[in-house]
Amino acid sequence: MLTRYLKLYYLFCKQNLKVMMEYRMDFLLGVLSVMLQQFAGIFFVKIVFDHIHQLNGWTFYEILFIYGIAATGRSIHHIFFDNLWTLGWQYIRPGKFDRLLIRPINPLFHFIADRLQQDGFGQLFIGIIVISTAMPHLDISWGVLEFFILIVMIIASGFIFVAINLFFATLSFWMVDSLPIVWTIFNLSDFARYPLTIYHKGIRHLLTWIIPYGFTAFYPAAYFIEGSGFQKLALLTPVVAIVSCVVAYWFWNKGLKAFTSTGS
Amino acid sequence: MIVVKNLEKYYKIAKRDPGLRGAVKSLFHRKYETKKAVKRISMHIESGEMVGYIGANGAGKSTTIKMLTGILTPTSGEVKVNGIIPYENRKQNASHIGAVFGQRTQLFWDIPVRESYELLKHIYEIPQKQYEETLAEFVEVLHLEPLLGIPVRQLSLGQKMRCELAAAFLHRPKVVYLDEPTIGLDVAVKVRIRNFIKQMNARYGTTVLLTTHDMQDIEEICHRIIIIDDGSVIYDGSIQDIKAQFGDKRVIQFELEHSIDHFVLPEEIRSAAVVIPKTDEDHHVVSVSFSSKEISGAEVISCMMKHYPVLDLTIADAKIETIVEEIYSKGLKGRVQHEEIH
Repeated sequence: MLTRYLKLYYLFCKQNLKVMMEYRMDFLLGVLSVMLQQFAGIFFVKIVFDHIHQLNGWTFYEILFIYGIAATGRSIHHIFFDNLWTLGWQYIRPGKFDRLLIRPINPLFHFIADRLQQDGFGQLFIGIIVISTAMPHLDISWGVLEFFILIVMIIASGFIFVAINLFFATLSFWMVDSLPIVWTIFNLSDFARYPLTIYHKGIRHLLTWIIPYGFTAFYPAAYFIEGSGFQKLALLTPVVAIVSCVVAYWFWNKGLKAFTSTGS
Repeated sequence: MIVVKNLEKYYKIAKRDPGLRGAVKSLFHRKYETKKAVKRISMHIESGEMVGYIGANGAGKSTTIKMLTGILTPTSGEVKVNGIIPYENRKQNASHIGAVFGQRTQLFWDIPVRESYELLKHIYEIPQKQYEETLAEFVEVLHLEPLLGIPVRQLSLGQKMRCELAAAFLHRPKVVYLDEPTIGLDVAVKVRIRNFIKQMNARYGTTVLLTTHDMQDIEEICHRIIIIDDGSVIYDGSIQDIKAQFGDKRVIQFELEHSIDHFVLPEEIRSAAVVIPKTDEDHHVVSVSFSSKEISGAEVISCMMKHYPVLDLTIADAKIETIVEEIYSKGLKGRVQHEEIH
């Protein structure tokens, strides 16, 4: 079962890559524009830190590190799960979703595998650069275990992005297109690129326990920052990722059921 | 193969007052109204049958097909396709069915046709040898060879439909649902597609349920038709039967010298004949339908010529098309009861 889906995913990917190469200009422009966008964000942080030395007790490289984890985690979502954005306007509204329902494979799998988003590679690239720039400046010695934990954290971060988007994209089954909601919620993730301690308690709780974007960047990064006070909470990141995915998938199935009983 | 019993599907539709005010009001307070898209439909289709499923737009055809394919869950009633309840075991059902939904492509938009088939091969887990044999056969019958290397988005409508059809039959499904497979195609492509469907049925015993507005499709492919109107089956039987029932039916098309906006039949023949509602805007042409048992063609013609400036006329006999048009516009009321036909 799993091997079948892995093989199918590989075949879908191969086709998507071929299409990507066909539109070479699109590919390059997409990657480039995302890189520029990311770069602008980092540049902004740099300017701020040219004037101050610490932001609420956080140094420039610590913030850069948080930023890097956010960008890398987000790139997983951006490259492999980008189709989630299109559920309403490209699948449900034009009736294309029906096509997925008459195939003998899981419709969510088919839907996700339908697209590979090249622009995400720009994000991945920037993320890795930023993380590796910040790493030597952190008060931690990087061993195999630390690297392993970092990778687990980044993957978990990516899946939290996926779960949150999946959850809100699923609303499309009831309202045809939930894109504005998905977009609004997604923008909340920008908050998580900075230390959550700088925000009001309400926002902190919201981003930790309700819409757990805090676990996409700040908490995982805090694990590696001595004296951040969040090292224990940070260990919850993979658990939060799993729980979010389970909840989102449960919600997706509910949405699917509602969709098949009402039609569009 | 397909067993449907008392199948019903109701939709809840939000009712809205007209205009912007109504739209704003509906944001806060909505009234719902239940639309009965399918009302207690029953049918029994044997393995290997080719059945035409026809009805006017909005009669409930697509809703029925969606329930048969498992896309929609019925409000009540029973559906079984090949022993499987489609909406409960959607994936299992999916591996035994194929479908073509007129305008919407089942293929992958950006990749060449051949690669689309390759993906389908894996999705449906078709054995390599069978896949090669089937594809070779389809390429020959549907003349696909020159199309295989082209991405779907670059194909013309006719080319695309040929490719779609091959995709629907590729995994040798037991049942194939064809929703308007010939819409908008030229005659040559239509003929090729019809031949292909007949050939598939003959060779693999594929059960075919076909919805179409093209009566030529029905007459050439199907032995049996099911007519649905306003969510209910109004006829289920052979094409010969319905032709016999309506064998006295005649249609005369009059071409008038100038257009007439609100055409009414002359008083003398109003009780025996009806005007067939038109789909196009050509007011020069009027089609009058009547039964030769009640009034003779000569009477209709002479009466029409007395009241209107007739330029030309054509007489058509009971084609299934005119019969269906008649049934849509008048229903079967007063002619045959649904039960009697069975």
